Amino acid sequence: MSDLRITRPLTPQPALRGCTRLVSRAIRLEALPEGHVIQVLGTPHAPLAMERLAPLSDGAPQAVRAAGPGQWFIVGDRAKTHAELGDILAALQPEAFGVDQSAGRVRIRASGPMVERMLAKGTAVDLALTRFPVGEATTTLVGHIAAHVTRIGDEAFEIMVLRGFAQSLWDDLARMSAEFLED
Amino acid sequence: MASLVPCPHCGARPKEEFTIRGAALARPRADAEPAAWMDYVYLRDNPRGRYEEHWHHTAGCRRWLVVTRDTATHEIAASRDASLDTVGVKRTEGARS
Repeated sequence: MSDLRITRPLTPQPALRGCTRLVSRAIRLEALPEGHVIQVLGTPHAPLAMERLAPLSDGAPQAVRAAGPGQWFIVGDRAKTHAELGDILAALQPEAFGVDQSAGRVRIRASGPMVERMLAKGTAVDLALTRFPVGEATTTLVGHIAAHVTRIGDEAFEIMVLRGFAQSLWDDLARMSAEFLED
Repeated sequence: MASLVPCPHCGARPKEEFTIRGAALARPRADAEPAAWMDYVYLRDNPRGRYEEHWHHTAGCRRWLVVTRDTATHEIAASRDASLDTVGVKRTEGARS
């Protein structure tokens, strides 16, 4: 791992500062803490097993998400120290490389009974529970913004996006949710 | 234009998620005649009907696919990963199309 340390002055403020959570009976939209995001880059023809990656996560359900053949994200709400990150990246070797994306990607949680209908306005992925069960994850476009979508519950999704697009995606999601926020 | 493209890894996705490279041609050997490379790099047929194209699933799994598309009807007959036969199996060199 590089000795370069991403320290507080480089990421002084949360990307979604000022984005207060939007809550109604039908929908709930909230920014998640900027903890850790580790992108795991393996070989597509000999993918790592999920059992190999799960011990490297903080143990939460859906902490390890598939992101295309041979690639995963390991995410969590708690920021990792430089030493902890170094241990994880070393443990992935030699089958895969890890990249610390903690300062590069932001997570948004969307939940509620209308969440599938809200997200369907932005993405063409079939989000029906039978086709996209809990734990399923994929990369797709939400509007014009590339985002990584994970189902974390029957009525709950996490949307992960590059930091520079976080505010735009939040605005889009808020607008997509607007009709469900009126009650 | 075909609006839903079947990705072998992600399922049916809208064409906006993809980048199209063009015809999937057999690459000449590195020491092939300049004429063969000229043909490969610059000269293209303009076929009517079914042919194979390279598509990149840019906003999805980021894999190169070979999509069999009909230029007249835009119907997509098949799609496969350009370098994996099935998920998890690497194609042998020389089998590349």
